[in-house]
Amino acid sequence: MKPPPFELLLATSVAEVVGALAADDGAKVLAGGQSLVPLLALRLARPTVLVDVNGLDLAGIEVVDGEVRIGALVRHRRLERDATVRASAPLLAQAAALVGHPAIRHRGTLGGSIAHADPVAELPAALLALGGSVVVEGPDGRRTIRANQLFEGFLTTSISPDELLVEVRVPAAGPSTRTAFCEWAPRVGDFAVAGVALVLDDSSVRAAVCGVATRPVDISDAFAPLMGAPLSDAVVAEVAARVRAACAGDDDRAELAALLAVRALREVA
Amino acid sequence: MTALIETALSVNGERRILDVEPRTTLLDALRGIGLTGTHAGCEHGACGACTVLLDGETVRSCLVLAGQCGGREVTTIEGLGTPDALHPVMESFRRCHGLQCGFCTPGMVLTAVELLDENPSPTEAEVREALSGNICRCTGYAGIVAAVLDASSSVVSE
Amino acid sequence: MIGDRVLRKEDARFLTGRGRYLADHDVPGLCHIALVRSPIAHARVRSVDVTEALLSPGVVGVFTQADLEAGGARPMTHRLSMPGIQPLSWGVLATDTVRFVGEPIVAVVATSRAEAEDACELVEVDYEPLPAMVDPRAALEPGAPLLYPEWGTNVFFTAASPAGQADAAIATAPHVLTERVSHHRIQALPLEGHGAQASVDPQTGGLVVIASNQQPHQLRTVIAETVGLPESSVRVIAPDMGGGFGAKQHFTREECLVALLARITGRPVRWAQDRAEGLTASIHARAQEHEVTCGYDDTGKVLGYKVQIVADLGNPVLYFSGIGPSLVTIGCLAGGYDFGPVSFDLRCVATTTCPVGAYRGFGQPEAHVTSERVLDTIAERLGLDPVEVRHRNFLPDAPRPWMAPSGARMDIGSLGPHFDQLLDEVDYDGWRKRQADARAEGRFVGIGLSTLVQGTAPTQYGVAGRFGSWESASVSVLPDGSVTVFVGTKSQGQAHETVFAQVAADALGVPVDRVTVKDGDTAALPYGMGTWGSRSAVMGGGAVVTASTRLREKMDLIATHMGGNPTFDQIAEEVWWHAHRLPHHLEPGLTSTVVYTPGNTIPVPDAAGKTNFEETYGAHMTCVVVEVDVDTGDVELLDAVLVSDCGRVINPMVVEGQHQGAFVQGLGNVLHEEIRYDDEGQPLTATLIDYTPPLATDVRDLRVLHREKPSENAGGFRGMGEAAIIAAPAAIAGAVADALRPLGVEVWSTRLHPHHLRALLRAAR
Repeated sequence: MKPPPFELLLATSVAEVVGALAADDGAKVLAGGQSLVPLLALRLARPTVLVDVNGLDLAGIEVVDGEVRIGALVRHRRLERDATVRASAPLLAQAAALVGHPAIRHRGTLGGSIAHADPVAELPAALLALGGSVVVEGPDGRRTIRANQLFEGFLTTSISPDELLVEVRVPAAGPSTRTAFCEWAPRVGDFAVAGVALVLDDSSVRAAVCGVATRPVDISDAFAPLMGAPLSDAVVAEVAARVRAACAGDDDRAELAALLAVRALREVA
Repeated sequence: MTALIETALSVNGERRILDVEPRTTLLDALRGIGLTGTHAGCEHGACGACTVLLDGETVRSCLVLAGQCGGREVTTIEGLGTPDALHPVMESFRRCHGLQCGFCTPGMVLTAVELLDENPSPTEAEVREALSGNICRCTGYAGIVAAVLDASSSVVSE
Repeated sequence: MIGDRVLRKEDARFLTGRGRYLADHDVPGLCHIALVRSPIAHARVRSVDVTEALLSPGVVGVFTQADLEAGGARPMTHRLSMPGIQPLSWGVLATDTVRFVGEPIVAVVATSRAEAEDACELVEVDYEPLPAMVDPRAALEPGAPLLYPEWGTNVFFTAASPAGQADAAIATAPHVLTERVSHHRIQALPLEGHGAQASVDPQTGGLVVIASNQQPHQLRTVIAETVGLPESSVRVIAPDMGGGFGAKQHFTREECLVALLARITGRPVRWAQDRAEGLTASIHARAQEHEVTCGYDDTGKVLGYKVQIVADLGNPVLYFSGIGPSLVTIGCLAGGYDFGPVSFDLRCVATTTCPVGAYRGFGQPEAHVTSERVLDTIAERLGLDPVEVRHRNFLPDAPRPWMAPSGARMDIGSLGPHFDQLLDEVDYDGWRKRQADARAEGRFVGIGLSTLVQGTAPTQYGVAGRFGSWESASVSVLPDGSVTVFVGTKSQGQAHETVFAQVAADALGVPVDRVTVKDGDTAALPYGMGTWGSRSAVMGGGAVVTASTRLREKMDLIATHMGGNPTFDQIAEEVWWHAHRLPHHLEPGLTSTVVYTPGNTIPVPDAAGKTNFEETYGAHMTCVVVEVDVDTGDVELLDAVLVSDCGRVINPMVVEGQHQGAFVQGLGNVLHEEIRYDDEGQPLTATLIDYTPPLATDVRDLRVLHREKPSENAGGFRGMGEAAIIAAPAAIAGAVADALRPLGVEVWSTRLHPHHLRALLRAAR
């Protein structure tokens, strides 16, 4: 089980990455490699050039104007533990802690996970629930893509092949914000069969689910009964029913999503 | 074959220069210089047998390309102890029957060392969680978990 | 010494990464083999074109079966001649037809594995697809597509016992239970894959083969036959092994291929199985379905027992055939119970899937799950406690050995008191109360029992057509008083370097650290039987204790002759250096090679039609308490206890480790692992993302207690390495069934993984 041959470019600037991506249709970005390298080993991915971005300076974490800005190369382990992230984007820390195992999280990056857009992955669902966005840079400069316009399908995003995801932005948590990420996987560290990301504050509720479709799905509407009502058993049952309906297609995953939605609700309530 | 990449790095404290294909994983590169204590269990990042420390952090060496490791510091199991001078965590594994066939053992030991560095007195649940990325097919994990708990107290008392 | 928790001699090298496994044997000029394997479950191979592959960088050669035959390859066969078996032989590589995804067709030798894989992609194979046949029951239907049209059926092997007595007992019984029990397909999954490396000895022209194989001597036999060399020209070395568990017990196409390619290319060559090959194209296990019919009375006593078995063999191109586990299943249907007359009907069916063969347990888990589900269900239907029903069905306490109607010679202790010790230890009555409390709170706790009598140290003759029940060892006291032991078993993690040192040290009366044990080298002993079937302590230990005792007796004679109370070392020196001072009738030297057999087996039916495959038996009582999350299907262990009687315990630490490891493999069987195919025969579990053994977070420690009733064999040992993998699926299935009974769920399958339980629970709602 050995990867097919390819060239490796150890990039030192975003411009170099973008240039390499634009120059060769077969070029692909190598960030943490925790999803890509297994695909290489199984010969399911066949890039001509791997553009290693680990030498770029894209690992900043800052809060600017009520927005948390996180460099694409911030690794899951840091996301999980960083004080700023835990305070201002706790859902990302919660989601990151559920990715794989520590040895995976030491390498895996936020930008890589979002750009890979695996429908069972946690961080894309968290980004969608947070109503965040990503900044990408391509031959024509930078642009911002909102999460609800990012995920197009199985392992597919609206990022162009010659663009590099450089930063992730999410609204900073307010004083009343509570978040939860609840998932069910067969074993610790496995991909989730279903997972629910929930962001609740005094005036709004947002949620997304992974595992039930070819991309993460916004299920904020299913939580609408919460607004302006006390958290009664009837409200919980109503939310569960709406989540089940929103995830219809696979009974098992829909049931799990409903269960996890309730668990997430109980966690923040 | 694509052109070889020259990669200078530190392995177990020794400066090494590796000439590797772009596709060569850190796992295969280490084994190629005789450090065969790093084992290929699955080669797709699912078993933990190839775990090494990269700049002090556990990584799966089958999911890192050797060409990415220029200027980095790698520690393999061979760098942690020798048969005549076992690392204290290795001593605990021996004392608690934390290994049978020995194939997962290097990855388990390195993962345990990292855990105990970060959390010198873990609970049993924390130990199990920390080891959950490493498959052992022989022991049922009983001896391994006991060994890490044993090492936690012995490391603390040192 | 025997009975002590001696720390392991092998640990220091394994802990520091100095173990030397198959892939750690680089030599100058080593070449690597990769295989072109069929991507289709069933197809005619119209043509193979290797032109492009030959031009690929690093390629040394590309080989089809025709090339191997030109290089001397002989056909492989199952070599079985019993009634009811189809004739079958096959090439090292497939030729005109492929019958499972992963069947090897072309071998590439290159200077690196990566280059060999590159070249494999350039081999052009033209396939004409034939119908896939994945479901063994469908394969039995009239008109089903045939894997081997010359058989006229897909049944590879069939056997049945006379059914009259069992049928009559069931017909007149007050109650009858009939159910179908499914035992799904899994695999052993040693963490180190299988593999072999071979080179030609330039001095002799003979072959040296390094193979990760549990039975190096028998592998030598098979390689010599396939390559066409005398056994004396083939040396097989089994190095440190990263587990085996049966997956490395067969003698495979790839091992023979490596030997042939070393001769054909003149280069040292290695094939190291990768994980995808291991999961799809090596050896699978279990895959049986039982239809059980059981007559019983109002007290829960079984009066007659009948099991009809359909066993899925995959494509049975496996020496010695995948029928072995099924033969063991039919031999132990009643386990340690007196079920009255027992009958069976066995059909072993060929399907277009990976060959099915050995995995730790080897047919016993299937028999045991079925019998334990039956006893629990009888208890439920009669409103009795499953403990009471087991007590009613245990073999009587006398006579010993208990001679079963089949011929089985069961030399075990009394089962009732053994079982009662378990119940006390686990606090069975307390758990029944806590279970009721939990149910009142809407939580689902279940208690499962396994009362196992395990056949150990079996004869291989019945499943291999040769290879008897014996083991060899050679023990020598060297002039300085240090001791060497060579043994024909092969450790794959079972601590043989330590436990056989304990056995020899105990018999010789020296400290354990004076003894060095070596295994896995055909140059060290004329023949050996290897490690499988819970045999090593019984057979290897018996050989070591016999050889060591002979030496000790000789040393005692010499000590008397020397006079003056000489030390061990003085006797050793006297025998080797001053042989002229020994009595004339005494042979010089202190070395003893023995070929030991307890002699209890009857491998082929005797005049009365009786057989006994096992040299001795072990008894193991297990209780598991679980809580099932009825929303997610997660099963959490609350307690697990095993009271083990494996006769004289050589090293309790090692025995406990074996039980704990086997228990978790058995837990994986029912809660996590499943080899799956789609209807077209495409494997769905080709990576460790999809095939998911238990992790440290999925288990809790099995508590192990010991009872010791020595066997009658040399040393008094009984086998135990497979006990807990047989017990765990039955006990856990029983616990899950017990937990979910209030919800109307019945458990008749080993598929109790969370998603299967969720489906069962949805169906019940």
